[in-house]
Amino acid sequence: MDYKTIKKSEITEFLDNLIKEYEIAAPIEKDDIVVFDKIKSSNGVILEYSNSVKSPKKFVIPQFETLISYNTNEDTTNVKEHLDEQKQFILFGARPCDARSFLFLDKVFSDEKNRDIYYKNRRDVVLIISLGCTQPQETCFCTTTGGGPFSSEGSDLLLVDIGDDYIIQVITDKGAELVKKLGLKNAQKDELAEMDRVIKKSEAKIEPDLELNNLKDKLDNSFDGSDWETLTEKCLSCGVCTYLCPTCHCFDIVDEEKNRKGERIRIWDSCQFPHFTMQASGFNPRPTYKERYRQRIMHKFSYCIDNYNMVGCVGCGRCISECPVNLDIRQVLTSLYYSMLSGRT
Amino acid sequence: MADLSSSIREEAKKLLKKGEADVIIGFEKGSLPLCATPCFIRNEADVEKLIWNEFCGNNLSRYLIKAKGKVGIIAKGCDTRAIVELIKEKQVQREQIVIIGVPCEGMVDRKQIMMRCQGNKITNVEDRDERLLITGDLLNVAVKKDECLYPGCQVCTNRNPVMYDVLIGSTSEEQQTDEFTDVTNFDGKSSEERWEYITHEISKCIRCYACRNACPLCYCKECFVDTTQPQWVGKTTGQTDTLLFHIMRSIHLAGRCVECGACERACPVTVDIRKLNRKMSADVKKLFDYKTGLDIDQPAPLSTFKPDDSEEFMLDI
Amino acid sequence: MKNPYLPTPMKVEKNVIETGDRNIKTLTLSFLNNKDEEIFNFIPGQFVELSVLGAGEAPFGIASSPMEKKHIDFTISKVGLVTAQLHNLEPGDTVGMRGPLGNGYPIELLRNKNIFIIGGGFGFSTLRAFTNFMLHPDNRKHYGDITVVYGARNPGLLLYKNELSEWEQRNDIQLHVTVDKGDESWKGKTGVVPVIVKELSIDAENTTTLVCGPPVMIKFTLPVLAELGLAPQQTYLSLEMKMKCGIGKCGRCNIGSKYVCTDGPVFSLAQLNKLPQEY
Repeated sequence: MDYKTIKKSEITEFLDNLIKEYEIAAPIEKDDIVVFDKIKSSNGVILEYSNSVKSPKKFVIPQFETLISYNTNEDTTNVKEHLDEQKQFILFGARPCDARSFLFLDKVFSDEKNRDIYYKNRRDVVLIISLGCTQPQETCFCTTTGGGPFSSEGSDLLLVDIGDDYIIQVITDKGAELVKKLGLKNAQKDELAEMDRVIKKSEAKIEPDLELNNLKDKLDNSFDGSDWETLTEKCLSCGVCTYLCPTCHCFDIVDEEKNRKGERIRIWDSCQFPHFTMQASGFNPRPTYKERYRQRIMHKFSYCIDNYNMVGCVGCGRCISECPVNLDIRQVLTSLYYSMLSGRT
Repeated sequence: MADLSSSIREEAKKLLKKGEADVIIGFEKGSLPLCATPCFIRNEADVEKLIWNEFCGNNLSRYLIKAKGKVGIIAKGCDTRAIVELIKEKQVQREQIVIIGVPCEGMVDRKQIMMRCQGNKITNVEDRDERLLITGDLLNVAVKKDECLYPGCQVCTNRNPVMYDVLIGSTSEEQQTDEFTDVTNFDGKSSEERWEYITHEISKCIRCYACRNACPLCYCKECFVDTTQPQWVGKTTGQTDTLLFHIMRSIHLAGRCVECGACERACPVTVDIRKLNRKMSADVKKLFDYKTGLDIDQPAPLSTFKPDDSEEFMLDI
Repeated sequence: MKNPYLPTPMKVEKNVIETGDRNIKTLTLSFLNNKDEEIFNFIPGQFVELSVLGAGEAPFGIASSPMEKKHIDFTISKVGLVTAQLHNLEPGDTVGMRGPLGNGYPIELLRNKNIFIIGGGFGFSTLRAFTNFMLHPDNRKHYGDITVVYGARNPGLLLYKNELSEWEQRNDIQLHVTVDKGDESWKGKTGVVPVIVKELSIDAENTTTLVCGPPVMIKFTLPVLAELGLAPQQTYLSLEMKMKCGIGKCGRCNIGSKYVCTDGPVFSLAQLNKLPQEY
């Protein structure tokens, strides 16, 4: 792997240069929270932050987007595909967990058989420059889900904060191309040693909680267990966890029409909402909080392994820090894990 | 804040032992620093889990409708106001619940403190009466509790339970504030400024419905935003759809909102949801001289008719 | 690259009331563009998403046989927004179609077997498609005995009445039509589907069963099939779930790790037994 280096004081210039050629999204503070937003200049970009409240998945699956639009005249209907050309896009300063989430989304939306052309259209232009975590939060559990505070999976370039400088790890060809264009310096031996030290120190702060393969087996056996009821008793069945989650991707498709013109829109949806699975007849296979929360857990930690060979969770901790009732997914998982171990279902 | 946890545990234990409650809905220690979480206690042995501190913000009356059997509930002033309304609206039967009233001194907003910690990991929180001493790897701050209260708690004039079966501790002194200054200030602005404010707030909304689902009075079996036949509101986060959701919800809560702030606390993206609801409360106060959730026998203004009801809205063009 | 969300324009040929309560109609469509027709191939048991622009999309099993060229049938019960709009369509109107979607009945595995078809209510539509497929002169020789049990709550709710009479005349298919409750004019069998199934003698060893109908029918029919000696691997069910995308992405039609839209809608009972009971 190639390692480059850049002074922290040069980051603004670095960004302002990139802005000339690319669309860039970076973490900024907006309305008292950190969000990823498209920026016009490096002003306001913050790199001393834990993580954004909303995940950057919105750049590849926006909360709502028009799939097709149509208008009806006397006897003809014109249908138009909405696949706007996308400009080359850099997601700057994303955390490694969020970068990994893009790999997961690729598995869902870019499968050979039913490739999602709208997703691909947006995804193909994305280059991710992520920022490793020197300060993992109490809500972070990326190491449990197969990642880490400096995991490079999903990133094209990865920044490591070594004090006055960042080391830039060159992960992909796409990343290498960009670095070449910018003519960055090679990292020195002592800088690399410092990088290793920083990484080790941070990794020691988040030890994995559980063994994932065992977890899947235990979850599969716990489906009919009584624990689900007690574990979900305080759940409000709102969409905070799913909407902030970087890997949750379920959606609805609805039509909206006015004056014989209309659009077919794809919108985020949540498995926590009762209407998600409610059939027109009124029958609902997941009628209560219990079934819906169980679906979220099973989907991420069992079904996704079956279908994509990857856990549907990157351990970013958003669902923990933002849950209005502190329903902590780690507690749910450990509780199921250990109650299964002791044979109590 | 005096440590009321042990009194709460004792009371809970008594109720469970005597069979006066099948379940106690209270708070236990949360999984994060600066955090308590709702819990459901069914066994005497588990009452030790119950705690009381300045992070017990959730309005637990939200769980009453779903609860089965006889329920003991830990309730602050605002929570009891919600219970009053739920009883009035025949969603909860008075005989089915035992209210363990707890005087409140205002609840502390975890996120405000987190902001002050600037992303540094908190390892320890020490309670020093009026202050919290927060330490971490790169952190050492003392925070005055009453500087970090939830906005709703700052203007609350009903910190003491308005209805209870048991009162824990002694009553707090009520704040003597003009409770609607925020609304008066807002009313004083031009309609353009108000529109800009509201639309800006609404633009943050992600339609997760945490506000609605945390609200003790939002108990409709099917919310108007979820119906499909007919579909009243679009599902996008476009301005029209989102605004319609919040305005309709607010109107539906007129004369019913108890100003507990559950909506605002639940919101992950800092939408000032209370603004609309507070405006409704101020209007209801002005038009009907009514404050919600204080008196179980006082009929709700929007579901009763009095010959001298204010009719200015009908004449105002 | 193909856009999986883009509907193919279809022309409404007929929209005929099937049932006495006027709540079920059979919609016959043809392709507006020849090119679309050329590439459209399906197997019985597959479904499509039909869409009325402005109202939205909903999934429907294909009710006609792939051997019938030039038109495709759908039998639609009016239960929601989209189905109400589909009921209002008139000949000449345009409607959108995405598909075919799903796996369909395992027609290769079913070759040279005796086929036992059990349908209830309007769940009979894709079974009708498969029955017509088997009865086609080119295909009949590939299948053994064909037995069909079809039930509805009352005679007025029976679908495809003309076709049922035609099948009745044939000697290469055993048809048992039943209603839960008859009326004065009803001359046929009375009794719920599982009871009728129980009375039949089935050569369990060489028979494969296809079941589609309301949950209550399935619930009581499965034990009867087991009694008749039909193993779970010999029994196939076609399931219904709420769907949106139809291509395994929108996340709502899963039963365990299987998506009804892509892994189904047809599952063997052996497969289903391994999945959570969440359907």
